[in-house]
Amino acid sequence: MSQSDFYNLCCRYHGKNVRITCRDGRVHTGEITRTSRNMVWIRPTGSLGGYGYGFGGYGGYGRFGVGIALGAIAGIVLASAFFW
Amino acid sequence: MVNNYLDLVAHFGIGGAHPGGFSLTKSILEDETIQPVEAVLDVGCGTGQTAAFLAQRFGCQVTAIDNHPVMVMKAKERFEINGSSVLVIAGDAQNLDLLDNSFDLLIAESVIAFTDISKTLYELSRVLKSGGRMIMIEMAAEQPLPEELRKKACSLYGIKEIPNEDEWKLKIQQAGFTHIETIDTSSEFIHSEITDINPSEIVNMDLYDLWDEHNRFITQNYDFIGFRAFRCRLP
Repeated sequence: MSQSDFYNLCCRYHGKNVRITCRDGRVHTGEITRTSRNMVWIRPTGSLGGYGYGFGGYGGYGRFGVGIALGAIAGIVLASAFFW
Repeated sequence: MVNNYLDLVAHFGIGGAHPGGFSLTKSILEDETIQPVEAVLDVGCGTGQTAAFLAQRFGCQVTAIDNHPVMVMKAKERFEINGSSVLVIAGDAQNLDLLDNSFDLLIAESVIAFTDISKTLYELSRVLKSGGRMIMIEMAAEQPLPEELRKKACSLYGIKEIPNEDEWKLKIQQAGFTHIETIDTSSEFIHSEITDINPSEIVNMDLYDLWDEHNRFITQNYDFIGFRAFRCRLP
């Protein structure tokens, strides 16, 4: 998938909790707070359902959370879902 | 057979893709006594999460079967990586290339509803040993479905019918099973966190649209369509 596909997906999932897998194998889970042509920002959630890993106030991440370069992304899916 | 919904699950490679997710699977299986000598068949194994768990947790002889080539490939990949001794077969649940009376336990997790239900149930009763058990988790109507909704569900998921709990039990009974009980899952109707995922290199954007459509459908219609888990056995 191209960078513009990922851009469109990030826009589509704005405000939703997503699971982003990067090309280096790292996985980030969080709510999409901002998307630009080259970057997406997510506010990390350690776990859904309010367990959190203690990102106290997200102070270390700035207003939008963690920035990820769209070019580093291998896949984006919703973090939680219901399937038959 | 073309089924876009099953393509969605296969190409995203989502494990535990059934109501209740993998946590329901584990909670049901932890209540079962499964011996290492027992032969277990996971029908519609998907990417093989349950089959791998069965082999690892109980050390039993697991056969996993799926009709979708991408699922079969991803299941094989999983078993190779984690060294599970699961036998994977490509095949149709309605017409299994397996011997009569060959399994002690069958597991079908949201599989039978996607087939000709009665045909598959008969086929499963054929391969199960006398006295063998079956566990299944399947979508079920919660109340009579308006015709419009039924049609929409059938076209969205490529299914023919959505039985309610009693209709399921009747079909299971007609296929020769006894001791049919509904497993209590009342608190399990939740979105599951996706932690087991193996997406294909190229996922068609249409499948993202379908995922959204599916999400809208279940959000709007959970009063009408839910699921049931059943346990039964052959006499």
